[in-house]
Amino acid sequence: MNWGLLQQANNSTNGSGNGTNATNASGGMGGGEVQTLPDTLASLLGLGDGPLVTFVMGIVAAGLVASFLLTLVAVSGIWGKRKITAAFTDRIAVNRHGPFGLLIIVADAVRLLSKELIVPDGADRPAYDIAPIIMVSSALLGFAVIPMGSGIQLADPEAGLVYVFAVASIASVGLVTAGYASNNKFSFLGGLRAVAQNIAYEIPLVVTAASVVIFAGSLRMSEIVAAQSATLVSLGPVSIPAWYAFVNPFAFVLFVAANLAEVGRNPFDVPEAPTEIVAGWQTEYSSVYFVLCYLSEFIHIFLGGAIIATLFLGGPAGPGPEALGFVWFVLKMLAVYLFTQWARSAVPRVRIDQLIEIGWKGMLVLSFANLLLTAVIVGVAF
Amino acid sequence: MPALPIRNTIPLMSNPWIAVGALGVVSVLIPLGMIAASSLIRPRVPEQGKTAVYESGEVPTGNTRIRFNIQYYMVALLFVIFDIETVLIFPWTVIYRDAVSQVGLTKALVPMLIFIGVLVVGLVWAWRNGAVRWVKPTATERRQTDT
Repeated sequence: MNWGLLQQANNSTNGSGNGTNATNASGGMGGGEVQTLPDTLASLLGLGDGPLVTFVMGIVAAGLVASFLLTLVAVSGIWGKRKITAAFTDRIAVNRHGPFGLLIIVADAVRLLSKELIVPDGADRPAYDIAPIIMVSSALLGFAVIPMGSGIQLADPEAGLVYVFAVASIASVGLVTAGYASNNKFSFLGGLRAVAQNIAYEIPLVVTAASVVIFAGSLRMSEIVAAQSATLVSLGPVSIPAWYAFVNPFAFVLFVAANLAEVGRNPFDVPEAPTEIVAGWQTEYSSVYFVLCYLSEFIHIFLGGAIIATLFLGGPAGPGPEALGFVWFVLKMLAVYLFTQWARSAVPRVRIDQLIEIGWKGMLVLSFANLLLTAVIVGVAF
Repeated sequence: MPALPIRNTIPLMSNPWIAVGALGVVSVLIPLGMIAASSLIRPRVPEQGKTAVYESGEVPTGNTRIRFNIQYYMVALLFVIFDIETVLIFPWTVIYRDAVSQVGLTKALVPMLIFIGVLVVGLVWAWRNGAVRWVKPTATERRQTDT
């Protein structure tokens, strides 16, 4: 009896979801599916259907998205980070190479890649090499289902939201592998701290996201975005959209805080904690491996920003034509990035035992309270 | 077993996991490509002492592969329980609004309240048993490490 109900309800969700999709989809394929980037590329090049075409076009589209992300990380991680921290501490930072010191990006990229790779004595060799690759891959994989606006979305599976959380948390495996394989005591401590932190904040993060799903009624990312396109309040000419950050600000604050812990930024940068354990799990990584660790951290920040933008800030929604959606989406991601850098400059680090207590005794309880309150309010009011 | 009706509505080409797999390939190729590029341009000057493990400039003492009190063993077990719980919560959140309109608030909400309630009781139990508490070394142990 229960299964029948589930399937029935599921079908009706699909039906209504397809209706709302049409407003969001740029092309609108037959059957109400959102047109994803591989499909768009295939139809632009006049190629037919079929799994192989989709795969090849998927490779091309994935290359485009990944290149964009790498560029974003290069600008924000090498140049933006310094400039923002300098602005907070009243300094100038890089300004010698090119306009605003922007050419430092090229110089630093080449410098870091051309450093000698020093593998510490007694490193657990295959694991030591695999760990950075795992971290980068897990961060990049999350972007497969993010609707970035202007028709840029690689795939739109039904379980999109669950998929994002699943692949993003593979990074924990990479962290603990890196910490253990380095044969360094600081790395070991950092790896253990990283895994303790990630498991403590994963559940508040996911449960808070579940409270959004109660509103949206779907795990499909494009439907979550489409559900936020309605107008919440009209204040004269300005109409405030029903972004879940406005509908449920408590969940938004919880999610942003848990996300800070999940990407390991201040006040929760305990796994690295430069004043306590050198650089944590990445102490022994040099040359290209260090680049990969650094890259994965920043892609994770942007993935966190992308999830926040999709779940709470209406995804690519914004004033202007729909083609501008990508710009709005990137701006929202950058806003979250700016917030992490702000916190990095302004908030002191919590101690590891405080971190565990905040996670298990504070955030977890609050996130369940939020879930139940949301369920009650939605059940009564809608 | 009868075929699921939903299968027929989705054409094969729009199976989203093909594109996800494509990104999976790309996301492994990018780090491998960077490693390959770096191995072409970086120097290799093997030298004794360079590869010593970093311990703030001191000569490294002892091994890292030791028995270590990781403090969070119970917390990790808790995580497994709650992670499975979140997996079970997600289907409920998806159908919740439709379920409320079909069978009413009580029937849709109360079972989940009971389910979460059982787990919260478990959390309170673990909390009171000190699973989340940081275990400090006893006084004698601390004196030994200080000297």
